[in-house]
Amino acid sequence: MKTFLFVIIVIASGTAAGVVQGGMNLIFVEPSLDQAIGIENQHLFAKGEAEDNSEFWIKYDGYRIWQKSGQVLAGAILGASIGSLFGIVFAFSKNSLPGKTTVQKSLILAGIMWLTVYLIPFLKYPGNPPGVGESETVVLRGILYLTFIALSGFGALGFYKLSKKLKTKKLIAVAGYATFIGIAFIVMPQNHDPITLSMDLINSFRMMSAFTVSVYWISLGLFLGFLWNYYKPDKEISSSFH
Amino acid sequence: MSQSRQINVSKNGVPVIAIIALAIVFSAGLFVVGFDQGHIFSLVYGEQAFQDMYLHELTHDMRHAAGFPCH
Ligand SMILES: [Zn+2]
Repeated sequence: MKTFLFVIIVIASGTAAGVVQGGMNLIFVEPSLDQAIGIENQHLFAKGEAEDNSEFWIKYDGYRIWQKSGQVLAGAILGASIGSLFGIVFAFSKNSLPGKTTVQKSLILAGIMWLTVYLIPFLKYPGNPPGVGESETVVLRGILYLTFIALSGFGALGFYKLSKKLKTKKLIAVAGYATFIGIAFIVMPQNHDPITLSMDLINSFRMMSAFTVSVYWISLGLFLGFLWNYYKPDKEISSSFH
Repeated sequence: MSQSRQINVSKNGVPVIAIIALAIVFSAGLFVVGFDQGHIFSLVYGEQAFQDMYLHELTHDMRHAAGFPCH
């Protein structure tokens, strides 16, 4: 395998998919965030921690513009990060994945990882807009979320390897994983932080956020699939034999 | 027979150095966007970084939008 080429196309596709997600967030998620932060501001005024005057709003608007541009940058960083994990898994699993073309294979893997390391953990620990959550529990919540993602990801991988070793049907691996993650779902502690915003706002935030994360995974699968197909980083040695 | 299998193995081999590089990008990126509360800048700026939380503020909206617990 061409090492440098492999790393570059993995990071490029992850970064590009993250920028797509960040751009989509500006349209779909930021309105909910603005609304939630607006409510936080009202609390600040009510408690006398800030004054509702033009000086405040000028500063606030400038700050939010900076933060929104940071959101797109963070999309690129997070995109490259998750994309790196995706690239490693894809490199190892490409030949065992179903699908005729490289793009189909990478889209299928993106779908599996979207389900196991995003959607199922999201259903257990759904994200919240600003203003929800006690600051004392943020580290605990972070650890719980990561633990659940790791359990789900390694669980899926473990059951897949086990079924390959025992030469059982793939369906048995799926059933094994489903049982395992179902138990983890019930056993892992709940997030007990009170919801202090309207459920309407929370739900529209969660739907939009799930939508743009899903767009990220689809873009990631497409980008890496196309780049891989075009540059073929794994074909070095076989062609040198001709 | 044995030769063709050998070609296959080397073709499938994923270079360790690439895995290490990507694993670093994965962990560093995830920490910066998902979890930093001033930790990385505190290496340079000390305690003040935990007050400023520059990376937390900069990545804040994506942290929420991607489903991480933020505050
Ligand atoms: Zn926040």
